Order: sequence, then C-alpha cells, then structure tokens
Amino acid sequence: MKKKVLSLLLASAMVVSLAACGGSDAPAESSAAANNNTESSAADNNAGNAEAPAEEFKLEKVKMVVNGTLTATVDNGQAEFEKQWEDAVGVDLEISQLDHSGYVDAVGRLFASQDYPDVMIMSADMYAQYAPTGLLWDMTEAYDNAEFQSRMTLPAINEALKKDGKLYGFAPTYGNGCVTYVKKAWLDAVGIDASTITNYDAYYNMLKAFHDGDPDGNGTTGDTYGVVAAGFLGNEAPYINYLPEFWQDAYPAILQDENGVWYDGFNTEETKAALLRLQQAYNEGAIDPETLTASTKIAREKWFSNDQTGSSGVFTYWAGSWYQTLTDNLIKNEVNEELVQLPPIAEVEAIGGYLNREAPVWVIIDDMDGDNTREQAIFDAFIETMMDGGTVQTLWTYGAEDVHWSTKAEEFTVNPGTDNEKTYSYEEGVFHLKQSPNDPNSVWKKNHLDPALVVSPLTNGFNSVEGLAAEGNLFFTENCVDAPISPVSETYTNESGTIYDAKMAVVTEVVTKNGDVEAAMANYVATVGSIIEQCLAELNG
Amino acid sequence: MGKKNNVTASGIEIRKKSLGLRIWNHRGYYIMFLPVLIFLLIFNYWPMLGVRYALYDYKPVGEPVFVGLKHFTKMFSTDAFWTAFKNTLELSIIKLFLSTFASVIVSIFLNEMGNLFAKKTLQTIIYLPHFMSWAVVASIFSLFLSPSSTGMVNGLLKDWGIVAKDGMGIYFLADENYWRPIYYVINLWKDTGWGTIIFLATLSGINPELYEAGDIDGATRLQKMRYITLPALANTIITVLILNLAKVMNLFESVFVLYNNAVYSVADVCATYIYRQTFAMALPNYGYSTAVGLFRSLVGCVLVIVCNWASKKTRGRGII
Repeated sequence: MKKKVLSLLLASAMVVSLAACGGSDAPAESSAAANNNTESSAADNNAGNAEAPAEEFKLEKVKMVVNGTLTATVDNGQAEFEKQWEDAVGVDLEISQLDHSGYVDAVGRLFASQDYPDVMIMSADMYAQYAPTGLLWDMTEAYDNAEFQSRMTLPAINEALKKDGKLYGFAPTYGNGCVTYVKKAWLDAVGIDASTITNYDAYYNMLKAFHDGDPDGNGTTGDTYGVVAAGFLGNEAPYINYLPEFWQDAYPAILQDENGVWYDGFNTEETKAALLRLQQAYNEGAIDPETLTASTKIAREKWFSNDQTGSSGVFTYWAGSWYQTLTDNLIKNEVNEELVQLPPIAEVEAIGGYLNREAPVWVIIDDMDGDNTREQAIFDAFIETMMDGGTVQTLWTYGAEDVHWSTKAEEFTVNPGTDNEKTYSYEEGVFHLKQSPNDPNSVWKKNHLDPALVVSPLTNGFNSVEGLAAEGNLFFTENCVDAPISPVSETYTNESGTIYDAKMAVVTEVVTKNGDVEAAMANYVATVGSIIEQCLAELNG
Repeated sequence: MGKKNNVTASGIEIRKKSLGLRIWNHRGYYIMFLPVLIFLLIFNYWPMLGVRYALYDYKPVGEPVFVGLKHFTKMFSTDAFWTAFKNTLELSIIKLFLSTFASVIVSIFLNEMGNLFAKKTLQTIIYLPHFMSWAVVASIFSLFLSPSSTGMVNGLLKDWGIVAKDGMGIYFLADENYWRPIYYVINLWKDTGWGTIIFLATLSGINPELYEAGDIDGATRLQKMRYITLPALANTIITVLILNLAKVMNLFESVFVLYNNAVYSVADVCATYIYRQTFAMALPNYGYSTAVGLFRSLVGCVLVIVCNWASKKTRGRGII
C-alpha cells in the first residue's frame, strides 16, 4: 500500500511540475486581462487588446529585437543603456540582441516559434519581403504626424521606403556603405603612391605588389595578400559592396534598368567579366583565398591582426565611424595605423561610386487585431523618442550617460605605457565620450545611431563626429551612389535561397575552381532559369 | 468469439483476464508510467501534427495555404535535394563504418596495454575531443588547414616541397577532393575515443581463462587477438553498427560547421539543405522544409525497420 501511495504521489508531482512548466504564462495573462492590458507583445495581445477601448491602452513593456548595430552590448554597458531608456520613456524595455552575421537565420527561428517582438530592426532585403505580408504595422500616419518631422533633415530616406504610399518601417539613418581602405605602410613598402590608384589596372597591380612583395617587412615574400573580404558575393543587398573594384558595373541580382524593367543582373556579360577578374585575383594571390569562407568578423580580425603575416593591404569596409574603429584596432594590435581611403577607381566611378545601401529600418509588429492603439503607443514610445533630439536620441546615439559619455570633468589615458599612449582631459560641462566599458584602451564611438547619418539631428549640441569618423562620412557622401532597390515577388520570396545557392555555385566554380564562366552560367540558367523568368514575369507584370 | 485462454503444458486452461482488469491490477505501474506518457504525447507526438504543413505554404506570417503535394513535387525535381540526400547516406554510412572500425582497433590496442597508468592516460587523452563542441573543433581545424600563409598544414607542405613555396596553399575545406577525407579524419579524431568505451567494456568481460587456454596451446598475441578477442567483440560490433545505422539521416552539426558553398556537391546533407531553405531566406516557407524533413524522417524510419530486421536476424532480438 505504501508503494502505491508513494507512486501516486510521485506521479502527481511529476504531472504537476510538467503542467507548471507549460503554463507559466497563465497568471500573467490573467493579470493582463484584469488590468486591461499591461504588456505589449504582439503575440500576447491578439485577444486581449481587441476588447480594450483604444484610448485606454497603456504600454508598459516593449520587446525589441536588434542585431549587432546596437553597440551597447551586454558586456558593453547595455544594462545601463536599458535602465536610462526606461527611466526616460517610462516603459520597460526588453532587449533581445541576436547574432549579427546570422540575424536573418535567428529571426527565422524566432518567428518559427511564434515569438514575435514588438519592434525589430530589418535589413532592406527583409523589409522588402515582409512589408507586403501584413506582419508590419503601417506607420504612415504615425510617421507623418511625428513630432520629429519638424526637425527632419533627410526626409527623402523614409519617403523612398514607402511601398504604394505606405510606410512599414522607419529608417533613423541613411544606409551608409563601404569604402576601400589601404594600409599606408604597405603602400610605402612596395613603393606605390595611393594617388596613382585610379583604375582597375593600377588597383590590381597594387594588390599583386602586396602579395609578391614583402609589405609586412618580415623578410618573406608571398605570405601576404592584396585584399580580403567576407565572401566574393554577399548574401544581402547590396551584395557586391565588399569587393566593388572587381564587380564594377556588374550587379548580380534582380534589378531594374533605366526604363524600370526588371532583369537578372547575374546572367550578364558584366557579371561574367567580374567573375573572371575575381578568378585571376584568386589564382594569383591578389585576393586572400579565405575570402571564400570568411565572415565579416574573421576578415576584419585578419586584416588588423597583430601578426600581419597572412594579412592583406586592402579592405573594403563600412565608411564613417568604422574608419576610426579600424584605425583603433590597428593601434591596439600595434600595427601601423595610417590608412588611406581610396577614392572610387574609374570603373567604380562609372556607376556613380561606392554603393549606398538601402537603409535598415525599425519595424513595429502588427498584432492584426484591427486596432492601432497598441502599435501607435509603441511608435510613440520607441520611434518618436528615438528621434526626440534630446535625452533618448542621445541614448541611441552615444549610449548611457556616465557610462559611454559624460559632461563631467575627467581625465583618462588609453594605451598607457605604449607608443600610442594618449590622455584625454575634459572640463566640467563639456560633452565627451568615455573609455569603452569593455576596453579601457579605446574611446567609445557611438551606440546605435551614427550621428553623421541620422535623418533628424540631435538638438542638444552633443557632437562627437570628428576626426576620422567625420572625415570618413564626408568621404563616403562625396563618393557614393544609391544601391539598386530590392525586388519583391512571391516567387522570389519563396526561391531566394535556391537562387542564392545557384549563384554561389557559379561564383565558386569560376573563381576557386577555374571553371569556364560560360559553362557555369549555362548551369545557372539550367538550374534556376525558369524560376528567374517567373520572378521577372511577376515583377514586370 | 470467445476470449483465447492460455493453456499450460499440462493441459490446464488459464482464463485470460480482461485488459481493464489487468490494468486495474497493475494500476500502480500505470500511474507511474503516466508522466512519461504525458511527456511523450506533449513533446514527441504533439509536434508530429506539424507534418501536415508539408502540404501547405506556411510562412511566418499569414494563414497556411493548402498546396497539396506541391512541395514534394518541387523536392523530387530539385537536383540540390537529391545531392543532399545522396551525400547524407554516403557520409553517414562511411563515417559509421570508419569510426566503428577505428574504435575496435583502438580498443584492442588499449586492452593489450600492460601499463595501467599509460592506458588510463591514453584513454583520457582520446576521450577529451568528444567533449569539445563542433564549433570549436571546426575553428581549430580551419586554422590548421587554412590555405593562407598562416595555415599549419600548408606551411608544412611548403616546407617539405610538396606545395610550391610561392604557390597557393591547398584549400582543404573548400576542395571537393579533400573535403570528405578531412571530414572523416576530424570525425575519427573527435569520436573514436568515445566509441571505444563500449568495446572496452566488452573486452573486460572476456573470460581470462580463454587467454590462458590460448597460452597453453602456444597461441601468439596476434592469434589470441584473432581467435579470442575479435569473436568476442563481434556481437557488440554488430549491435553498434545496427543501432547507429538507424541514425544516419540525422547528420547535421558536424557538416554545418565544416562545409561551405564550394563543396555543396560532396558535403551538403539533408539537414543542412533544410536549414538553408528555411533560415537563410528573409521570409522562409516552412512548408517546403517540412516536406524535406518529413521525407528524411520517413527514410530514417525505414532504416530503423531494416535495422530491426537485421538485428533479429543476427542477434535473435530486435531493437524496437
């Protein structure tokens, strides 16, 4: 009898514990219902909000999903940023920061589990795909009536994002793009003057010189490369921005011609020529072979590594604040930090210059209950304040006060005891950036918003865009052109993975396996030609 | 239709109790089993309802749209799917045989070692790689095998004159000719040690009198290995092979961290193909990946049944 009682108790305990695990949300839901809405998660609100009178909606929490563009990461003062944002806005903020390079994958997994945030950042590609689905809230009216409209300096950025007159995502900055950086010390070592790099031949000869010579000065030739990048062809627009000198006038994606007709830019003579340029560079060591598999992080770290053996002289990467960041990393790794920003070579200039990508946007997830009060409240709390010109915009721009920046008098030294030791001294009341929370040897640069790219500037006069970052921004804006817009079609949405695989098959076949470009392209047509035709029919129909 | 009663050897008929009565009599056991049943239903059977989405266009937004067998038609007419399917079977089965063979050999060598300290130390060393995550293993081997001037293996090949000093190193992980051998070697390095555990346990159970008898008969060490050790291991080897054969369709992590788009033709497996079709797209269609996943599961199911049949034939009892 004792055994039976014991087994019954044990079984009951396990069943209860199991049930408890599955039902942990129940009390919160009850509470939410009782309080006539508290939390704002889209998934949680489907039922409850519909019954709530619009004017009674009270936003208490915002669930946000972001990629690596929020530089106040968990180990870099995110808790303080979050706390100060909550204090300023009066709403709880739940930050979910996903892996930057795997953001699309991570968002897919998030959606697969029906775990929708309230707001999230999306690349132009993602925005183009999701905008017509109904998942994103139409914020046109909220945007038009926003308080920050009166301070907007770049209204065209968000106007360009409208689909059929409706705005589903807000871009707080313009897109930015990549420019080509060259190590000055390497140029000097091989005796090349940067001002002579004006066309592809000169550019390629420079890359070859970096491989065939000894630019790192270790006494060995052939152990360095011309250029390194994260892939020969990117997997998100504008695809070619890490190797623009090779791609030149080729844009290997579906794009519009001057008459607005969509066509496949991959299956073109321009792309074939670009692939042959890459093939030659790969074979001759002008391009680091690991470009095939490198992520942006690996390419970056290889480039500014302390041991320059195996590194490259050229790196095409983001303009503006990254100019400063790359320089700082070279200093930190005790590598000669002087960089040259290479103006677009003639072949790149022919298309207008470096590509300014379509801007990433913040979107609000629509709970589809037919009532906009929740979404409007999120817009007011999140997007309106992001552009308030004052406290909250400063948080998004520079981070948390007295953590990332301060106006208090202070003095600090970076890289003490090294050749790069530098002391910063500020008087009381002077805005300045502090040492990075996770790296006392570097000065904090920015948080999420680049102050030089923002569509509506700060009004408090706080400005840190100076030196290399300012120089970089100016250089980019003087040498850039808008990237082609991304296509949106049912077939393209369904088959973009297959299309990308087929493109990469051509790229690897030609570039790394010395394959015949015509044969590889014929294989591409055989594999996805009908899919592309269907996409084009939908786009042009 | 009366109930079939059991009849004992002496001809006494035992009346079979009804199912309800038998459950009542053993209600304690059934109650103990209840949590397990609930767990299985919730976590193993309830998710199976999701297979219906193989017949739908199912995206993160909007209602699923019934499309019938569209995804299966697409799947069977896609070369990339068949490449992945073929690679899955080839990679898994070759890996299985290689790792089993290596584990047996290493187990026998370990068993033959007289010095207990050396044996234990070696065991510990070869077990350790098993505990490293595949991400770490991939990073380490990517560095070793890097085609750039910093790659250790290419450095050695250049020093030995196998690769021209000023030539480009071999990109082992991006070359279709090298990828599979490298993959097998990495798997052997990582899991051979762990695989020896079951064989060492079997070896420790062999009656020492058999070896003593071999000694008396003048058997050499090799002969004892061949005529005593290996036959004793045979049943375990077959068991391990059969049990692992049922899992061949599950290949994912080890491939995912080591492959790249230059070697899809030899490395892409069903699970990585599903992953790309699902998560590498801005707006995934779970319907298609569910269809591929369902097909993969069906093949896995067939393999389990085949293994069960093989197990019955060779061991006299099944695995399910």
